[in-house]
Amino acid sequence: MTTVAAGGATSDRATSDRAAGGRGRGGGRGRGGGRRGSAVSGWVAVNTVIVVVSLVPLAWLVSLSFKTPASVGDGHFVPRHWTWENYRGIFDASLFTRALVNSIGIALISTVLAVAVGAMAAYAVARLVFPGRRLLVGLALLIAMFPQISLVSPLFNLWRQIGIFDTWIGLIVPYLTFSLPLAIYTLSAFFREIPRDLERAAAVDGATPWQAFTRVIVPLAAPGMVTTAILVFIFCWNDFLFAISLTSTESSRTVPAAIAFFTGASQFAQPIGSIAAAAVVITIPIIVFVLVFQRRIVAGLTSGAVKG
Amino acid sequence: MAGRVPSAGPGVPSAPGAGPAPGVGRVAVPGRGPRVGLTAQQRAQRRLGWLLCAPAVVVIVAVAGYPIGYAVYLSLRRYDLRFPAQSSFVGLGNYATVLGSSLWWKALAVTVVITVVSVVVEFVLGMALALVMHRAVVGRGLVRTVILIPYGIVTVVAAFGWQYAWTPGTGYLSGLFGDAAPLTSQTWGVAVIVAAEVWKTTPFMALLLLAGLALVPDELLRAARVDGAGPWARFTRVMVPLMKPAILVALLFRVLDAFRIFDNIYVLTGGSYDTRSVSILGYDNLFTALNLGVGSSLSVLIFLVVALVAFVFVKGFGTAAPGGEREAGR
Amino acid sequence: MVTGTVVVVAGPRPRWRVRRSGGVAGLLSGRGGRCLSGGRSAGGGRRRAGRGRVGLVAAVCAVVGLVGCASSGPARGPVTVRWYVYDESSGSFAKAAADCSAASRGAYRIAISVLPNDADGQRAQLVRRLAAEDSSMDVLALDVTWTAEFAEAGWIVPFDAASARAITAGTLPVAVRTGSWRGRLYAAPLNTNVQLLWYRKDLVARPPVTWAQMLAQARALAAAGKPHLVEVQGAQYEGYTVLFNSLVASAGGSILSADGSRVELGEPARRAVEAIAALAHSGAADPSWSNQREDDNRLAFETGSAAFQLNYPFIYPSARANAPDLVDRIGWAQWPSLVAGRPSHTTVGGYNLAVSSYSRHPGQARAAIGCLRSRANQIRTAVDGGLAPTLEALYSDRAFIEGGYPFAAAIYAALRHASVRPQTPAYQSVSLQIADRLSPPGSASVSALGGLRGAIEDALDSKGLVP
Repeated sequence: MTTVAAGGATSDRATSDRAAGGRGRGGGRGRGGGRRGSAVSGWVAVNTVIVVVSLVPLAWLVSLSFKTPASVGDGHFVPRHWTWENYRGIFDASLFTRALVNSIGIALISTVLAVAVGAMAAYAVARLVFPGRRLLVGLALLIAMFPQISLVSPLFNLWRQIGIFDTWIGLIVPYLTFSLPLAIYTLSAFFREIPRDLERAAAVDGATPWQAFTRVIVPLAAPGMVTTAILVFIFCWNDFLFAISLTSTESSRTVPAAIAFFTGASQFAQPIGSIAAAAVVITIPIIVFVLVFQRRIVAGLTSGAVKG
Repeated sequence: MAGRVPSAGPGVPSAPGAGPAPGVGRVAVPGRGPRVGLTAQQRAQRRLGWLLCAPAVVVIVAVAGYPIGYAVYLSLRRYDLRFPAQSSFVGLGNYATVLGSSLWWKALAVTVVITVVSVVVEFVLGMALALVMHRAVVGRGLVRTVILIPYGIVTVVAAFGWQYAWTPGTGYLSGLFGDAAPLTSQTWGVAVIVAAEVWKTTPFMALLLLAGLALVPDELLRAARVDGAGPWARFTRVMVPLMKPAILVALLFRVLDAFRIFDNIYVLTGGSYDTRSVSILGYDNLFTALNLGVGSSLSVLIFLVVALVAFVFVKGFGTAAPGGEREAGR
Repeated sequence: MVTGTVVVVAGPRPRWRVRRSGGVAGLLSGRGGRCLSGGRSAGGGRRRAGRGRVGLVAAVCAVVGLVGCASSGPARGPVTVRWYVYDESSGSFAKAAADCSAASRGAYRIAISVLPNDADGQRAQLVRRLAAEDSSMDVLALDVTWTAEFAEAGWIVPFDAASARAITAGTLPVAVRTGSWRGRLYAAPLNTNVQLLWYRKDLVARPPVTWAQMLAQARALAAAGKPHLVEVQGAQYEGYTVLFNSLVASAGGSILSADGSRVELGEPARRAVEAIAALAHSGAADPSWSNQREDDNRLAFETGSAAFQLNYPFIYPSARANAPDLVDRIGWAQWPSLVAGRPSHTTVGGYNLAVSSYSRHPGQARAAIGCLRSRANQIRTAVDGGLAPTLEALYSDRAFIEGGYPFAAAIYAALRHASVRPQTPAYQSVSLQIADRLSPPGSASVSALGGLRGAIEDALDSKGLVP
């Protein structure tokens, strides 16, 4: 960690691909330039370690997904007999493909809603003075702490009574609810770091608080919004408990729930190959999602010039 | 704290989290004045605050209110789905049952160990990862994307992968410990569970900390260096204080989640060898034994323990916590 | 893999044919044109306590026929009977549903609602719906251990005497026992399952008859440096309770009294624990024994490191597919006994079919059950899906034996002696306690039995926590 800090902000920024608005370029390059070679190789080494540790367990799942049923238990890290059968199997059945569509749709909608609703509440918490502010913060934390296993059965009954059981809405609503605590906490932590002068300047220019929020705060909090969006998306994407409890058909079943319906060759056989293949496939949207939003994080950081 | 932050010059009007900012803001900001006789602006602010919070409050109360209330109600009753005729009000009897059982205390101890160890390790690793991602000269995009993959994998599936990996014969990792099967003892079982948990959720920590790091102004670090602060001092005295809100959120939510750990244990050991967490215990009593009374009281107790932890956290972080006194009136 | 929900629609048929078929079947059963109410009254079946003895085939037709009659009321088109069942991997359940819908001649169509693959997941979904009195459930596929629980909770209705007689005629008695509670038949046996001792013919000349012999042979193989492991379930889960139950029964005892009200255990339980401990300390146990389930045992056996395996017949088709060079060297014998000269009593498994108390079409549901477990459907499920049938006659049926059950005779013998897991509404709690108190197998000791007795007694009263 020490090395990391010693690397110095300026030299990194200067050599990075981000246009930092000219900020900090001056003296940085000269000082950083001499150590550049060793720094690069150091980073390559660090990055390699991180990538390997992150990906080896995934590679193991990929390996399992390409193994034949006969060799799935052989313990070799690299399959001896490769097969596409597991992937063919899951894409042959609407069980998985429909679930994939449901997962993407439900997770995206929930994320957008959670970030929007969460951002509004977080702004109020971070910036405005009104009675009940602390109550909201406590309330949000409260529902984040209650064990969800004792909540699904009442929700199941409620959903059936009001007719949203086994619908997209029926999953979006709890996902929105249970990701709000994280969204509110994360976003308010970011909003409060944005200098108040900006809003004040906006107010002087005649902007209403709402305009200040949407035109000034939200764009500036982009890194926080994107971070929150990624975390919420992954939360919705990975949820099993609500998905298995509040759905019953392909019309709304998401992938983690669908995996519970995979069948092996017999009652006792774990369909480990299909499960691994499904896991690999549903990791791809996550990567795409992150890649898309990475740009926003970067953009948010560079526009941070206003901070200084 | 404000005193430790090196003078940042006029370019940094508010050093967030580091105390009240000097200068213009204080007097002009509404909310500091006497409560009586709200100005029009204060009233507008109130209204906007309520309006902005309304959607969140409505959703939270509508969706979570009834189930939580129902669970609390059930926890006060003898209510076993298999014996519907025996339902009755038992007051705190279910709580006495749970608190009088060694199963609860053993599970609580295991859960605390798993929570503390995994969150500490995750925090250290997550901070290191965040710094790497923030500072890396090369391959930053790659690292940022790659580290999120573990977090993105469905927990149950990842756990299946680990279970295969650690089982002699079917896995590549079991050989690390000779012939022994690591998942067949409490110590190693918990270690494997923690490892799986750390691998999976460190990215969560790292991402939140990274976003916090992004808010640390370079100018402040530069100024600190000019003032002769070493790397460690810059980290502990400039970066960490400024990142406090992000650190709080990351730690708090990880603790809340880690304390309710379920999937990894369920797949890896099924709770055998006293590797059972309180959530596994809750699942067994609610879903398997269908004893909704005792199961619900377990849930409420888990909630109370978590709430206590959260309370300590929020108090410990003081004004860095959302809703803390400082920020709204700054 | 079959799609999530298979809805099988029987083709439209002229109404007169429905009536006529009802009439013919009615004649066969000697019940004329009597109609089932088809209403929601759960007691409907009970009140019609039957008259006249009917054979199996006649009974199936009769129920089908009666339903035809029932549905010829104001309802338009066939009544939908919703069958909640897991997705059998060969698709034989879906085919049976389609065939039965067609054979009902418009009386009903069976729509499958697929349940998760694991038994706990199935039970969670069923219970959640039943607790909410979901009227969309008609036929439920129940694990053999759930009968007492679902019956006592009032979630399933018993079969009337006539239907019960029709179902039990020709059905394996042990399977019938699993579907019965307090003297009434609540669930009709669909398929069954039982473990055998699988061994390597190239390593073991004569299969062991007793547990002690098995361990001795394993030790001898180990001394000779050959594959010697004994593969058996040892993780802390239902399968470990099954092992304990098999051992206790084979030692001549039981875990609970027949009515499920008292704890028995005693000397047979002591012998069972000693058998587990003996294996654990023999060097023949798999290093992962305490974390192994059925499929882990199968995998380990297929890798060739084991000489013995106590497991269900699914391992045989699996070996044929995954380890073709091994399959010809796999022999089978009865589960080892604990008492020399006495047969072992392994634990019966499988699934039964019951009618939900909240069904709006209990008559059609009963009819559908009769058809779903018909001879033809059981043969298909056995041959395609490898699930052992519950009709005794099939165990000498060539189509069945040659369709992949060369060990049919051994299965039949095991089923004749098989034991049933404790029958009590609190079975799940009892099982959790057993698996917890005796885990891990390596530290299972006779001294744990005292605590186990108290824990089971508490579980029976639903007192205290379950692990």
